[in-house]
Amino acid sequence: MLDAHAVVLSPIEALFLNLSLLCIVAWPMWIAGKSLRPGNDLAMLALLALFATSGRILLDPLPNIQPVTVVVLLVGAHYGASRSVAFASVVAISSNLVLGHGIWTLYQALAWSLVGITGSSLSRIFRNGNAISIRRVGAVAFVAGFAFDWVVSISALHSIPLESFPVYLMVGLPFDLVHATGNLVFAAWLSGPLSEIMTRQSPQSKAVVEPVKNAS
Amino acid sequence: MSDLIKPASIILLVIVVVSVPFLQDSVNDEAAKFVSDSESSHDGLPTQWDGKQAICIFFPESNTHPEFSTGVTMIDSDGETIGVNDALNSTGACVGGFEGHEQGMDFMMDATRVAGGLLSVGYTMDPNWGPFVHTIGGLNVDEVQGDFSGAYWSLSHNGEYSMVGIGDLIMSQGDVISWEIATW
Repeated sequence: MLDAHAVVLSPIEALFLNLSLLCIVAWPMWIAGKSLRPGNDLAMLALLALFATSGRILLDPLPNIQPVTVVVLLVGAHYGASRSVAFASVVAISSNLVLGHGIWTLYQALAWSLVGITGSSLSRIFRNGNAISIRRVGAVAFVAGFAFDWVVSISALHSIPLESFPVYLMVGLPFDLVHATGNLVFAAWLSGPLSEIMTRQSPQSKAVVEPVKNAS
Repeated sequence: MSDLIKPASIILLVIVVVSVPFLQDSVNDEAAKFVSDSESSHDGLPTQWDGKQAICIFFPESNTHPEFSTGVTMIDSDGETIGVNDALNSTGACVGGFEGHEQGMDFMMDATRVAGGLLSVGYTMDPNWGPFVHTIGGLNVDEVQGDFSGAYWSLSHNGEYSMVGIGDLIMSQGDVISWEIATW
């Protein structure tokens, strides 16, 4: 994906380059996200979309390992179904500008939207007191890895006959497993901090903050 | 508990990523069993190739091969031309009469070599997805232009769209693989 001028990078070197870039992208975003004034949920969504898009593009050397599914799940849980659908579609389109746009973009947008809707309908279950239950998010994210891939696989029916579809899905199972396990990792590491900053920027927290301002 | 899940998930991911090639091999073996019987895929090929392996390359009307521009030329595994089948409604060449090949890519390279450069294969190696064939018999996919976004060499296994790339294809006795230009 990346071509260095006059320097030829091995796949491993390219991966390390991309991982460093991702850290350079994610760290200031994390600072920016934390320093946003409460109630700024749309700015938060934009930051998360940039993070998910760059994460998907930069992790492209690792097959099927990317943070988008977990981020969409969390966006659904915190900001509701309709925003997560818009979020999922924007991330699918913008990352595919680099990775390649085609009929599959529609199915990826659809599948991630379904993940977001699932997140929004499970938002109570994800909550563990005031914090988020990493185990529950992880379990749902793991299953979502398989479900997402199968929905996207429907796009193959444009080129293969229906009776071959079960075999097509079977051949993809190892890659689905990688996606699911990658989701588990992102859920374990991201759901705590992302949930914390998203809760600060949720529409509800605005209502909590304003009376305090008036009181001072 | 949630502290344990962080390192544990990474260890699990590493195990999964390392074992994916082995999982993929066994899944591909399973998938090969579902590929329909190879008998009908021999239709139109020389009867002496029955039960043996063959590869066919079909060229689009817009970019016919200079040597194989009419009918489909049948080339035996020793390099001798058996004949030309004009009834197949396409142009190109088949090389057949092989036995015992198991790896699709090895078979393709061995079989096309028999045609003495007329069917030479150009491909790039993708670290994740394996070999990507861009040129066969001098026809690079970028040269195929028309009312579509792009063209690629599409692989069929016993007459059906192959579920796996040529690098993952497992061949059985009597299998026929074929390549033709498809567009998107």
